[in-house]
Formats: sequence, structure tokens, C-alpha cells
Amino acid sequence: MNTEDRVAINKLPTGVPGLDEIVGGGLPEFSFNIIAGAPGSGKTTLAHQFVFANATPERPALYFTVLGESSIKMLRYQQQYTFFDSAKLPNSIRFINLSQVVLEKDLGAVLEQITKEIEKSNPAVVVVDSFRTMVRKPQSDLDLQSFIQRLALFLASWQATTFLIGEYAEDELRDNPIFTVADGLFWLRQTPERNSIVRKLQIIKLRGQDSVPGLHTFRITDAGVQAFSRTFGLTGHLKDPPSHRRLSFGIPELDKMLGGGVREGDSVLVAGSSGTGKSVLATQFIAEGIRQGEPGIVAVFEERPQAYAERATTLGLDLETPQKDGKLEILYLRPLDLSVDETMHSILEAVQRIGAKRLVIDSLAGFEMALSPGFRADFRESLYRMIFALTGIGVTILSTVEVDESFTEFPFSTYSISFLTDDIIRLRYVSIDGQLRKIMVVIKMRGGNHAKDIREYEITSRGVVILGKRLTDYQGLISGIPVRSDRSDPSEGPSQDTGIEHKT
Amino acid sequence: MTTPPKMRDLAHRLLAYEAVEGKTSELEEAATLRVYEKLRQSLGEFVGATGFQSLAFRALTQAKSEAPGLWAVQIAADGSLQGLGEFEPQLVEFEPQLGSGKDQASEGGVVLIARLLGLLLIFLGGTLTLRLVQSAWPGAAFDDCNSEIRRKA
Repeated sequence: MNTEDRVAINKLPTGVPGLDEIVGGGLPEFSFNIIAGAPGSGKTTLAHQFVFANATPERPALYFTVLGESSIKMLRYQQQYTFFDSAKLPNSIRFINLSQVVLEKDLGAVLEQITKEIEKSNPAVVVVDSFRTMVRKPQSDLDLQSFIQRLALFLASWQATTFLIGEYAEDELRDNPIFTVADGLFWLRQTPERNSIVRKLQIIKLRGQDSVPGLHTFRITDAGVQAFSRTFGLTGHLKDPPSHRRLSFGIPELDKMLGGGVREGDSVLVAGSSGTGKSVLATQFIAEGIRQGEPGIVAVFEERPQAYAERATTLGLDLETPQKDGKLEILYLRPLDLSVDETMHSILEAVQRIGAKRLVIDSLAGFEMALSPGFRADFRESLYRMIFALTGIGVTILSTVEVDESFTEFPFSTYSISFLTDDIIRLRYVSIDGQLRKIMVVIKMRGGNHAKDIREYEITSRGVVILGKRLTDYQGLISGIPVRSDRSDPSEGPSQDTGIEHKT
Repeated sequence: MTTPPKMRDLAHRLLAYEAVEGKTSELEEAATLRVYEKLRQSLGEFVGATGFQSLAFRALTQAKSEAPGLWAVQIAADGSLQGLGEFEPQLVEFEPQLGSGKDQASEGGVVLIARLLGLLLIFLGGTLTLRLVQSAWPGAAFDDCNSEIRRKA
């Protein structure tokens, strides 16, 4: 059978931001779906969003309520969500209560009642909430199986896309016939992780659709359910071809050390202990980008955007004007129960909003703290996904990371993430002539040559200023406790290596 | 607590609408019954018979404190209204300020319907309440709770 002969499955919008991406572009029309999960996991809200997104007066939605939450209270609460459109009731969305027939009669009568209503309304969408309570009365397996089979066939014949909502436990997955019949199975979970609650969504199956596997985090806000795909909404997005452009820090000496600047689309790690000027360097990087017409995003976790911008002012850098002009956004992300996917969503939205070319994450430690404890365990893997996704769309990322100052080691990161970064700039304190001074060295540049020089720098009212020539009078500088050597060669400028790539 | 004026006004208009729809020779309580039955049908589908019965029982309890003429009215298990039109003779005889039995029936009907609508207003808000009323009276045009009910052209 060639492609032209295949039936095209129409995809319906789920009405849930982020979920269309997860289900492979939309929900298959006429599919018979289960939304399962514990009470409070967001099942009803998700179904409502689908209903409000798809119901029309010509092809309305029938929402059958059974036992459980009373319809009045359900509508009382659901109308608080912004997706709830009162104008759709009752012509496009009809709520029908089946409690009486469920309580007083058998499944045959329930099916008859449902059939009657469907024939009357010709709905495009049918929801049964909760299906679990509908079949809770003792039934023989055969009766239940027959009921489910007949219901599924009837609804499909009437060209209705169906959601059955139920409070199921995961150990029921093997034995319950409903899961065999269903085309789609959406499982919603909410689990406590220390003091945080994490909500996750899994598409256990979805016939005829290339859904994104895995557990996707979601949040319920006043806009309803918002899902965050593990692919960050970038499925099918072609990776931009590598650029040869170099981005300046606005610090000429540092640009020289970097072989002309950071390669566009790189991930740069600035590592150093507290007070070494990581944030200052990051601010200069973003400010220089704006000066050159490259909008930027700063994701801050440890201080408020206002404080961040004020600190930049003390360095002679104006971050207020570009914010007003829509060329800079400072995102403050610190609810303590974030997932990386959610953080990524906020960053991506901002990137797309202003067409950002540069992104600063200040700092990775703050980012980790903002995550729910469960996500901290996967921090490295999450960073990998995030960096890969962002650099893939051409954004250059500068992350700062605090490392413990050691006088025996020279660590680049506490997260063992150096392999995730293209370039590493290491800042550190060094004890020289009775002073605690600062040195900077480019450890690695994946895409090109860089200086091997160890340079002294200061943080001044103009930001980071690299001093003089490379330090040639000392040995053991990276140990932090150098010893003066007799040799000196002050005439030498920054030296470039000869094409050897530094691996870390 | 008395009936919210907006709901009282809406109840008045629904009763007037039904009085015109019905035969002019019908008793006052017939209009009340017709309004109530339409609400029972419309809400019953939405909240179920038991759900409607609970709401109606609460509305009647509130209404009785405001309209003594409803003393004999009861809500049956299926949510239907019983005993409307039965007036307490002593009240008519010894408390003439309450008006005739006809007046009591009229006032009782308004209060009961207004209380029922008032509960919907509390739980669902004005927009959804009006939409539910609109679905029960598809032939009538409602612009908002304060406007006249018109017959659709």
C-alpha cells in the first residue's frame, strides 16, 4: 500500500500547552483514551482543557459525570481556570449526570443512557468522569469486558474522541481490560520529594502516534495543566549549522586569550570560587552582546533581577535600558520545586520572545537549588539535555559555577560537567607577595586555539580588567601558592597554542 | 438572610413569562410549578436527580423562613415539588397583613425560585447561572440578570 492509500489520522489540539508536542502533534481523532491517576493529579482539569479546545455547537462535547465530585462543585472550581469559557455552555459542552442510573441499574442501562445522549447530540468529544466509579459495583469480568468493548465500539462508530477518567493504581495495568481496549493511556502522577511536590505525566501508549516517551513534568496553574516535554518543544527542529563567528566579551585581552572570542553556539563555563568575578564576567558578556545588537537572557537564581541590574550599573553597564527596549530579559527562577524542563520552558519562551543570541545562567549552583530534590539527582543529565537543546538553536550559553578553592587540586566544576561545555574559563585566587590576587586561564576551547597564558586580573569599576602580560615570574600558579622563579619574560604577549585541543 | 434582589427579579420574570405562556385561567402556583419543573429538568440533567433534590431542599428551607405560605411544600425524593397551593388557614385568618392565599402562593413561588437561583449564583456565579436559565428557556432572550425577558423573535 503506498502512502496515498493510507488513512490520514486527524490530530486534535489537546488544549494543554506543551502536550501536543508530547503526544506527537495532537491527539488522534476518534481515539479512545484513558486518563488515569490518583485523586488530585489533574485528570479532570486535563479533560476539561481538551473539551474546551475542541467542542463546537455543531460537534459538541458530552461530559458525563458519575459518582464523585458533584457537578456543581466541579464547575465552581473549573471556571477558575482561564481556559474555561462560559459561552461554550451548554450549547457546545453539555454536562450530564449519570449517578442515578449507575446507582440503580446495571451496566446495560448505563450504556443505553449513554447511547441515547450520544445519538441525540452527535458529539465530537465524550468524557466519562469518573469511569472508575461507574464500574465499581461488582460485575463479572465478562460483563465488564463486554461493556467496555461495546462502549468503545459505539463511541468510535459515532466518530467521537473519548476520555475515560479513572483513579487507577499502577498495579492494575496488567489485568484491567480497559487498558487493553484503550488507544491512548495517559498516566498522571504527583509525588512528594522531601518538601516538594512533583507532577509527572506519562503517555504509556498512544496508538498511531509517535509520542515522546518518558516522564514529562507538568504544573497546574490558573491556566490549567501546562506540560513540559522532555524534548523542550524542539522536536523536529533542525540543528543550526555551526557558526564560525566569534562573540566578544567586551574585554579585548580575554577575547585574545579565547582566540578571538567565544565561538557562536558554544557552551562556556566560567568556574571560580566566591568573589572571583564570575557574575561580573557574565554581565560583561551579556552587555557586550547587547551593544553588538545580540539580545540576551540572564537566568538568575541567587538574586533578584533588580539587584542584578543595579550591580551591573556599578560596573558602568546599563541593563535597564535594554530591558525596556526588549533586548534583554533577566529571569528570576527560584520556586524550589522547578523541574529542568520547566526552567527550560521559561528560558526558551524568553529566547523566542526577544530572539536572544546569548544566555547567561548565573549560577548552576543556584539553578540546582531551585530544582525539586528529585531533579537534583538528574542534574547532570538534565543540563546535558538543556545545553544541547539551546546551543542547537544557535544560542551561546555562559554558565557560572562556584568551585571550592583548593590548594591541592584545580577543579573545573563540582558537577563533573566539563564534558558538557565547549569552553572553560577558570578564575582563582592566588597568593602572591602577601596579597590575595586573582588569575584567569582558559582551560579548554573545543572549537579552536586559545591562549595557554595565566593572566592576572582585577575587578574594577569597569568590570574585569586583565593586567599586564602573562605571569612568568612564578611557578605553580594554579596551585594557588606559587613560588617565584628567577626566569621572567615580560615582553611576551598572549601566546596561542599550536592547534592542540585541550581536553578536560 | 433575604433573597438576593437580582435573583428575586429573575424569578419574577420567569414566573411572569410562564404565566403568559400558560393559560390565563391557571392558578398562580401553576406558573411556579412550571418554572420549577423546567429548572428541575435542566439542572437534573446536569447535577443528577439527587443533586437537584439536595439543592431544592436547601432552597425550600431558606424560602420557608421568608414565605410562610410555603409551610406545606415539600421536595419529593425525585426532586419534584409537592404541596404547593396549600395555605395555612390560621395565617390567612389571623394575619391579614400576609395577604390572601393567592398572594401567599405568588410570593412563595417567587421566593422559592429566587432561592434556588440564588444557590446557583453562589456556587456557579452569574454567567453560568444565566446560561443554565437560558438553556431551560430557549425561547426567551436574556441579555443579563437585570434586563427584561423577551420572547426571541
